[in-house]
Amino acid sequence: MHPRPPRRHRSRPLPMLLGLALLATAVTSTAATNESPTAGDLLRGHVEVLAADAMEGRLTGTEGERKAAEYLSKQLADLGVKPLRQDGYLSPFEFTSGSRDTGSALIARRDGEDRSFVGADVVQALSFSDSGTVSGELVFAGYGIRVPDSADFGYDSYATLDVEDKIVVVLRYFPEDAEGEARATLARYSGPRFKAMTARQLGAKALLMVTGPRSPNAGEVMPMTFDTAIAGSGIVAASVSGALAQELLGADRSLEEVQRGFDDANPHVAGFAIDGVEIELTVRLEREKSSGHNVLGVLPANATGSAVGSAAESVVVGAHFDHLGRGDGGNSLARADETDAVHNGADDNASGTAAVLEIVRALRDQERRRDLVVAFWSGEELGLLGASAFVDRLDDEDAPVGPVTAYVNFDMVGRARDNRLSVQAVGSSDAWPGLLEKANLLVGWDLQLQEDPYLPTDSAAFHRAEIPTLNFFTGAHEDYHRPTDDAHLIDYGELGRVVEIGERVVRGLLGEEERIAFTPVAPKRQQGGDRDSVRAFTGTIPDYATEVSGLLLSGVIAGGPAEEAGLRGGDVIVKFGAQTIANIYDYTYALDAVKIDQPVEVEYVRDGERRSTTLTPRARN
Amino acid sequence: MNTRRRSAHAPLTPSHGPSHGSRAPFGRVALRCASTPAALTMLAAVAALVLLPFPSDGRGLAAPAGTTAGEGEADDAEDRFLSRTRRLIFEGRRSGEGYFSPDGSQMVFQAEREEGNPFYQIYRLDLESGETRRISPGIGKTTCSFIQPGTGNVLYASTHHDPASEELQRAELEFRASGEERRYSWDYDPEFDIWVADPESGEQRRLTDARGYDAEGAYSPDGEWIVFSSMRDAYGRDLSPEEQRQLEVDPSFFAELYIMRADGSDQRRLTHTDGYDGGPFFFPDGERIVWRRFDTSGLIADVWSMKPDGSDQKQITDFGAMSWAPYVHPSGEYILFASNKHGFSNFEVFIVDVEGVKEPVRVTTTDGFDGLPVPTPDGGRLVRTSNRHQGEGAHLYIAEWNHQAAREALAAAPPRRAAR
Repeated sequence: MHPRPPRRHRSRPLPMLLGLALLATAVTSTAATNESPTAGDLLRGHVEVLAADAMEGRLTGTEGERKAAEYLSKQLADLGVKPLRQDGYLSPFEFTSGSRDTGSALIARRDGEDRSFVGADVVQALSFSDSGTVSGELVFAGYGIRVPDSADFGYDSYATLDVEDKIVVVLRYFPEDAEGEARATLARYSGPRFKAMTARQLGAKALLMVTGPRSPNAGEVMPMTFDTAIAGSGIVAASVSGALAQELLGADRSLEEVQRGFDDANPHVAGFAIDGVEIELTVRLEREKSSGHNVLGVLPANATGSAVGSAAESVVVGAHFDHLGRGDGGNSLARADETDAVHNGADDNASGTAAVLEIVRALRDQERRRDLVVAFWSGEELGLLGASAFVDRLDDEDAPVGPVTAYVNFDMVGRARDNRLSVQAVGSSDAWPGLLEKANLLVGWDLQLQEDPYLPTDSAAFHRAEIPTLNFFTGAHEDYHRPTDDAHLIDYGELGRVVEIGERVVRGLLGEEERIAFTPVAPKRQQGGDRDSVRAFTGTIPDYATEVSGLLLSGVIAGGPAEEAGLRGGDVIVKFGAQTIANIYDYTYALDAVKIDQPVEVEYVRDGERRSTTLTPRARN
Repeated sequence: MNTRRRSAHAPLTPSHGPSHGSRAPFGRVALRCASTPAALTMLAAVAALVLLPFPSDGRGLAAPAGTTAGEGEADDAEDRFLSRTRRLIFEGRRSGEGYFSPDGSQMVFQAEREEGNPFYQIYRLDLESGETRRISPGIGKTTCSFIQPGTGNVLYASTHHDPASEELQRAELEFRASGEERRYSWDYDPEFDIWVADPESGEQRRLTDARGYDAEGAYSPDGEWIVFSSMRDAYGRDLSPEEQRQLEVDPSFFAELYIMRADGSDQRRLTHTDGYDGGPFFFPDGERIVWRRFDTSGLIADVWSMKPDGSDQKQITDFGAMSWAPYVHPSGEYILFASNKHGFSNFEVFIVDVEGVKEPVRVTTTDGFDGLPVPTPDGGRLVRTSNRHQGEGAHLYIAEWNHQAAREALAAAPPRRAAR
């Protein structure tokens, strides 16, 4: 509470700002009363259950996920929320939890003689491949990169090639000697999956990929990466060893010399047909299928005259409840001494899950012009699987909900600092700033509005369907994706204030006569790369919640290049190599352009003082 | 959350129009500082941090050698008087100049928040329901609103009666679309007159019709009087060649303070000094008027006070800088104002005792523009206009105000020093 000034001598009493005065007491108080539990108590209860070791880190498709889903179903039932599906709250979806090469093989026929190659160190399926056997002639297509015209940079490995019904051989990564902007642009379109899609679109039968002698991991067969997509990419695709690729090229050409020809990224260096050899490629890939479960409920519209059933518009409010299990999936940031511990995910995202439950409690007796759909997603950590499965069905005849007018997401909302709350994807509707202005008036967050709707959380699935989205977020922290993301570190009073503003925003969406309009936002970066295209590993953990000029680090990964360079949480990177850094986009752009094992000058600000150091990026595996 | 989380930075766009305290140099300054590239802003911020914002003697001296104030420390310094600073208005391109009804339940402000008009319009925010509605007609330029005690009517300056208004809106929108940057942000449109709106009936009544900018009006605490600024002196008589040149270069040179009854009758001139007199407000007890007076160069301004009949004019500040936008705290003990003492484009909020016998005390320490400080009627919060969020026009912010700390800091302040 702020101190009140002394009364003035004037006869009219000095009034209070009624509304503004309310929030100072009501919202932040978490003191228990004898009668009913406070909002803070209820939130703490949810988070402590969901983030307990007994939930085993709530990995999608595991027993821990099922237990958490049961808890949430029970909560929805107690709140009077109806199941969205006739058979209950749980809504299963299938996904690929792993894939295995069960014996891919390649037969090369030269001068009427067959040579056979098998074994994971020689030829192995790419994880997104279709299974099947194809045979045909070979075309070497350089790095197999096609930069879209829109990128303002001309590069097309296929410009002079006809690959219709052929098998394409391409190099992994992107031209090794490319510099600066060209390097960054090429990196963006060099993901293996994107290369496979490009080859398929040009009519190729199959894709072989080789890691060239002049690249990191030279000559090695590519590891099977974790790919949760339920279907293949529509093309047979395999990785071959450098030795096998050399064999296919024939004795007249050295793979290293061929690669060198492409490595300066000269767009006029053409690929070529490999004469005198035909191959038969068999890819055997088994995908292990698992099921995850969303938890879905609905509070139907209840205002007089509201449409019912599938005719009713709906507002979806949601949060993912899955997490990383024991962190085996590759997304864990556990330190060396923390491996195999349960990743409790109290902030990520028991906090958002609890917030949604309490928002629903606050809204259940409200008049609603629209259905309020309550969604707890699974599979978020594996790639927005649950939310995507739901969104994919929205256009179906038997879709479980009517037209969705907006989606409001809560992902990591339990660690607010300094009264700051980030609201992301605000650019997805022109209506958001006004709605947030009104909703926040009495709650008093120091709101940080961020336009970009292309977010790595469930709201992105709705954004793809051109639905206005919003994501609430209190910021990354040093326990992010570590086993130490625990319930006692959540600020339940502040989480209660997230509920307060969320409830007001959703109330506005349910009550306004006009639905809000979707506003398209151009993506800041072309898509087409994937993890494989960003090879440089720096070990920095950006703080995404704080708007500063530069890249604020919330921490560094132990033993990583950033830590070795002396960087630490709180530092603000302002220059990386030749690139000045004003925001995270500049930083990812700068990362595209660096070379592995080549030191980079980094300028940063610590405690108001500008400093510099040298950081040596390493290769990602 | 998925590991690839990213954040967004809004595009940079310029800001700012007129205000109760506005004039050309300020407009230019604010425009430039809002569009500074982020990296430069950061460098400036770092450079600014070597200034310890609250030295014990209140004189804004540089920090002793060896001390560097980190960002956190600068915030702590501002936290002495202000806490929980947060943005109040998000809708629209820019907003500013919030003023409260006497019971604190409503705030009027100017904002650009509807399509089709690139100039400010006047809005009223209900602080209990959060509803915002437009009070002015929506056409033309408006600025400087104030709520009448007793009636809830809203006074503001407007050009909507000018038949050219809509054409000017179109021209401004086209100019914006061209992508050019305006070097001069405010033209003191001589069509500006003072209007009053009854928000309940929607009735709009014109109170002044003199040729020349009439604006920057504020009611007396009893709601009976309006003090305002006018450039009518430049239009109602024959000007000397020197004055004519002055009018073409900068009409604000002719701005003087006037007072009239709430119905527009009995208009009387209060000041007769060359240079821009404007931004007047009554003291909470109605006994005096505070305003800011520019010198004839238009670069230096100071806070002054006088009786409502124009007598007993007293200079309160003397920084030799641009000190403007004064407003008296509801306690009647001190005046809040903004000054660029610490850098031409770095306006900060200061407080000074009503008599001006002590050296003013700096309140805000955030780089960029902080100005137009207005306390809530209970004295417990402060609304101001700021571009601290970077990358957009300025907007209204609110924060908790520590009145006790303000009193203590003023009690400890040394006697005022003369700048010249």
